[in-house]
Amino acid sequence: MADVKDRLASALLLAAIAAASPTGCSQRMPADSGELVIAFPGAPVSIDPRLSTDAYGTQILQMTHASLIRMDAAGNPLPDLAEGFEARSPTEVVFRLRDGVRFHDGRELTSADVRDTFAWILNPRNRSPHRSTYETIREIETPDSRTVVFRLSEPFAPFLAGMVRGIVPAGTRAAGYSPPIGAGPYRVDDYEQDTAIRLSRFEGYHGGAARIEQVVVKFLPDSNVRFLELKKGSVNLVLNGVEPDLIPAVLENGNLVMEEAPGSNVSYLGFNLRDPFLSDARVRRAIALAIDREAIARTLWKGHADLADSLLAPGFWAHDDKIPPLRYDPAAARRLLEAAGYRDPDGDGPKPRFRLTYKTSQNELRRRIAAVIQEELRQAGIAVEIQSLEWGTFFSDIRKGNFQLYSLTWVGIADPDIYHYAFHSGQTPPEGANRGGYRNPEVDRLVTEGRRETSREKRKKIYGKVQQILSRDLPVFPLWINRNILVRDRRLTGFVITPDEDYASVKEMTFRKGKEAGK
Amino acid sequence: MRRYLFSRLRQMVPVVLGVVTVVFLLIHLIPGDPVEIMLGESALAAQKEELRRELRLDRPLAVQYGDFLLGMAKGDLGTSFRSREPVLREILRRVPATLLLSAASMTVALCIAFPLGIVSAMRQHTFLDHLCGFLAMLGLSMPNFWLGPLLILIFSIGLGLFPVSGYGTAGHLVLPAVTMGTGMAAILMRMLRSQLLEEIRQDYVRAASARGLSRRAAVVRHALANSLIPVLTVMGLQVGALLSGSIITETIFSWPGVGRLTIQAIDARDYPLVQGCILFIALCTVAVNLLTDLLYSRLDPRIRYE
Repeated sequence: MADVKDRLASALLLAAIAAASPTGCSQRMPADSGELVIAFPGAPVSIDPRLSTDAYGTQILQMTHASLIRMDAAGNPLPDLAEGFEARSPTEVVFRLRDGVRFHDGRELTSADVRDTFAWILNPRNRSPHRSTYETIREIETPDSRTVVFRLSEPFAPFLAGMVRGIVPAGTRAAGYSPPIGAGPYRVDDYEQDTAIRLSRFEGYHGGAARIEQVVVKFLPDSNVRFLELKKGSVNLVLNGVEPDLIPAVLENGNLVMEEAPGSNVSYLGFNLRDPFLSDARVRRAIALAIDREAIARTLWKGHADLADSLLAPGFWAHDDKIPPLRYDPAAARRLLEAAGYRDPDGDGPKPRFRLTYKTSQNELRRRIAAVIQEELRQAGIAVEIQSLEWGTFFSDIRKGNFQLYSLTWVGIADPDIYHYAFHSGQTPPEGANRGGYRNPEVDRLVTEGRRETSREKRKKIYGKVQQILSRDLPVFPLWINRNILVRDRRLTGFVITPDEDYASVKEMTFRKGKEAGK
Repeated sequence: MRRYLFSRLRQMVPVVLGVVTVVFLLIHLIPGDPVEIMLGESALAAQKEELRRELRLDRPLAVQYGDFLLGMAKGDLGTSFRSREPVLREILRRVPATLLLSAASMTVALCIAFPLGIVSAMRQHTFLDHLCGFLAMLGLSMPNFWLGPLLILIFSIGLGLFPVSGYGTAGHLVLPAVTMGTGMAAILMRMLRSQLLEEIRQDYVRAASARGLSRRAAVVRHALANSLIPVLTVMGLQVGALLSGSIITETIFSWPGVGRLTIQAIDARDYPLVQGCILFIALCTVAVNLLTDLLYSRLDPRIRYE
């Protein structure tokens, strides 16, 4: 009798577990039904193209919204909604829209929608964070339904990069978490804030309907969970969301493959040039020489990082290929410190030449990197205290100039005008991002000239000079550029890894079937 | 009873006011500028000043505090800086997930704690008691950030029974509820055991046995009810903690609860949302405490509220 009771209890327990699990033991994985499930390491704050500033929002918008133009991996403009554009003068650019482009609700996309999208951003009442990007727009004219003319108050070369902005229908109000409709390859079916967004193919997409019908983007902040979801097969694509340590374990699953390609997000070490020690360029160079970046890239990043020599990635059109490399040389670092007058009081003893504070975020890997840099600088005779701070506090300190050393990453550099923003003497916070207080009249002149020059060849030369000067002055020390790592279901094809982590190629993706999948 | 209730509700006002005041001061004192976070570094200084004026952040702290209290009295918690949605709507959107997870975790805790607590007390110093003690120790020592992924590994990856993460179906609820309920079960179980051991030795239990009641019936029918008051107190405190959300469990399982919302609001220095979330948590905690106090009289008729 007891045996029967036990069996009944076990059967009930199993039935309860099976009932609780919506799909039971034989769970169908998304790939089986042709659904693409992508995991992001975080949730977007906004998915309104006029307001969104965070990377996750931008990446969703690449699937749901179309912009006048897009940029290729090297930063060259490609047509999207506009079939072409023409700079009639340095202050007048004309875009000609494709014929018959429609929004997800079937409405035709016209020049009025383009004008209204930018006018909305420029309206101070709407508090758009992108307003400053378009401050030079003086007038937007729409002579007909397919032509948009932008007139600028002054020549402004980065204007074109700003045209990569999703267009929404005229009259769309900002409505919190409700995403406005767009004209991209996917439409939003359902958005569960902080959990997931469900997209379905827009059959009327002007570039041809996407091949995969359903796309789900899950927001999974925990890196172990992303790893486990991949392992289970309930997520089939993760870009830059698997910790370097976990990649070999992910690949043990024969259904997954990894692809790697150069990235564009540059990590750097920032110096406060108002600091008595760090105002001396020899000290900054000594610090740079004392850090073994190659070892850090090889061990902590497991080889998934390339050494950086500039804020621009090597493949970017404005990158200067002749920047002299700065290699690890602890002996040279010590000599430079001696020359700068900072003698080591007791040779290899515990007393340092001087002490510095190094601020970083609470990210575990960043903290480990900070610890390695601390040890390397100790060997050069510089005592470093690491302060790992909560993001809001960390960033506030950096903006206020309350730091000596810090490390951060520049993401989403679309134009070399970043040099104006980060190094022009008039761009110290709160105006810009010259956080270290760098001042060099020559750089000021060049970066001002660079933003007014519309010829790309001439701009390349200007920014080449800027990069040379900065590699000598070292107001920041570029550390490395993380490689973009894609882990995907073996059957998925068509995703193109771009340096700026663009998801536009999702529309080209497809699931291979049968024998093909094994390749 | 009604007078007692009114007096308790009156007492709640200064407690809640104290909590929101401390939070108001703390969130304004910690470094971080919501305007910079909203507009980004690239915004012009004039634009930032404009927004600061619009959000009334340029006013003295005392005036901002007054505005906040006035709004709260009118039931208006303001608008989230981050999402531009009313704070109340933001919080209400997360409440169902929080309530669901709290209720499920408490159910898991009770389902484990009661049988094991009773068995442990009735079989004191036996193998079963030691096993229960070991399990309680295990439950208490396993942190959620470790237990959560472990459960996923076994039940989602290994056995394929539940989804790894997410929200929406009964299957999504099981693993986070077990993760959160396990630690609580251990506390409740040990508490119940010690209370029961005390009660079992009382004369009325011996008298019940002498009247011919089986030991099990004497314990379950008589001693258990008398052991519940301290257990209920601990349960009340635990429910308060559950409602405030477990950040770690919510993060692991991508559970869209109030706890995660609070952390996101703090990260974005979204002052109205932080204040709204803390107000919600404070209200829940004092309400659960009041409910616990009221339940005492149901468990022990000698307790009267005048």
